[in-house]
Amino acid sequence: MGNGIVRYKRDVWGEEVILGVSWDLLWVVAVAVLILLAAHAILMAALANKKMDKPSAEGRRVLRHEIIDRLFHWVMAASIIVLILTGIAPIVGLRIAWLNIHWISGLVLTFIIIFHIIRSLFWQDFKSMILGPRDFGEPFDSAKKPGKYTFEQKGMHWAVTVVVLAVIITGILLFMQIDTPFWDRTNSMPEDQLGLMFLLHGLSTLALVALATTHIYFALRPEKIFYTRSMISGWISEDEMTANHDTSRWSPKEAD
Amino acid sequence: MPDIELYQPTDEENALALANTLGRDGWLLAGGQDTYGWLKDRNKSPAAMIELTQIDAWKGIKEISDGIEIGAVTTLTEITNNPLVQSRYGLLATAAGKVASPQIRNVGTLGGNLVQDTRCWYYRRGLDCYRAGGNICYADSPEGLNREHAIFGASRCVAVSPSDTAPALVALDATMVVAREGGQRLIPAQDFFVGPARDIINMTVLNPGEILTAVRIPNTWANAEFYFEKVADRNVWDFALVSIAAAIKVSGGTIEDARIVCGAVECVPRRLNAVENAVRGQQRSEQLAEQVASIATEGARTLNYNNFKVPLMQNLVKRAIRG
Repeated sequence: MGNGIVRYKRDVWGEEVILGVSWDLLWVVAVAVLILLAAHAILMAALANKKMDKPSAEGRRVLRHEIIDRLFHWVMAASIIVLILTGIAPIVGLRIAWLNIHWISGLVLTFIIIFHIIRSLFWQDFKSMILGPRDFGEPFDSAKKPGKYTFEQKGMHWAVTVVVLAVIITGILLFMQIDTPFWDRTNSMPEDQLGLMFLLHGLSTLALVALATTHIYFALRPEKIFYTRSMISGWISEDEMTANHDTSRWSPKEAD
Repeated sequence: MPDIELYQPTDEENALALANTLGRDGWLLAGGQDTYGWLKDRNKSPAAMIELTQIDAWKGIKEISDGIEIGAVTTLTEITNNPLVQSRYGLLATAAGKVASPQIRNVGTLGGNLVQDTRCWYYRRGLDCYRAGGNICYADSPEGLNREHAIFGASRCVAVSPSDTAPALVALDATMVVAREGGQRLIPAQDFFVGPARDIINMTVLNPGEILTAVRIPNTWANAEFYFEKVADRNVWDFALVSIAAAIKVSGGTIEDARIVCGAVECVPRRLNAVENAVRGQQRSEQLAEQVASIATEGARTLNYNNFKVPLMQNLVKRAIRG
């Protein structure tokens, strides 16, 4: 039973309760995202001759991401990819023992997110990621340059924050319903609450698939690839910095 | 009874074409002893049925170069009474003879006994449990009645394989012959069954469009010393609480090799590798049986009502080793 977004079932008493998200939406999300990204790629290709020259990667280098933040990013990326793949495996009919890999990756993601929250609050420039009124005008005014993070980067960060926290919170509640080396399941959550958890976990997973796909696409775009390089090597060139950022709002130290 | 299209192919080609065309809508029907329960309870309503018992090529028992081949729609009574099976593979003859009742064995087939669905009553009642595509296991809940359920290998679902012949065929190192359009694949019996960690919906690795057509039993374990015992609440017409199938090669009182498999303790026939390793090369004795019995149940995780399966399984292992 379902209405396109939510699947329902009868509980043990014959009452209709939520079962979870309709996984047909996975294909809807996948197709919609791919169409949007393809449209963006075509548009960008059409506008390419109007673009200014790419800033040079040569010359003085400034530090954009410290090694610990780069490690965090890639561990998080790996865990999210594993979570998505193992979560989708049974939906598409792959016979693998996915559940243990799924919850172990979920634990990894949870721990590194806790680490990231603590580090960003006490050791990083948290303000640089805050979205303010000025940021919203940035896409419409080429004279307005961002500080360390662009409007799009901040938007992606906060969207991922909301979605990942939703995945983690619902994931932990579902994790408590299965056997693990840490506890034996009690299997005692009421069916309507369990269904709601599955629904929210599924919806946030779909959002995460869309966000991850979009993020990977932009990370591979030629005009953004230097950001991806900086997530590997840590640096961007001074030329790239001045072309894309307001140095009065972001003054990084020199890269080693 | 809802309307169901009935197809009665008489050869493999037509059966496979139908199975491939109908996919999950085409219910494979042989003896019907699993099927009719589902239909009677209105818990499954297939659009079409493909009856396989008209295909003569899938019936009977014949010798092949390395053992015997049993057609998948051969009845359990034929297997029980077949002189070749009785003389070389008494383990299978005994196991087939323990299935349900004489009436059911007269129509029930080997293929049907192997691919039958689990007997967890929450699932059979039509509840939306994990195995039925839901998100909960009713049997493994605080109030769940789980006397017959798994003590090993549960992953959310705690249902067990109900087949009596499956442990015997795993012990005999049989191979499943699975036909599909464009060819066939051979699957070791041990790999034919699948647990909920890998697939929580299906009990076997069969894909839509595939049909189990025969079982081949190699000579490897022919005429070994066999032991089969099925413990159930009734002597007839009941499913095992625990069963054991053992094939043991003994020479001069020493166990040269052994394959020991338990039924009804896991979603798949449970091969007791640790016990096999422990007895290999040892003198077959009461003392050995006592020593290795507890190895069989290492790692068991019992549910509210099936703690009894641990000592029961240990005792069956003792009896199998004792011979």
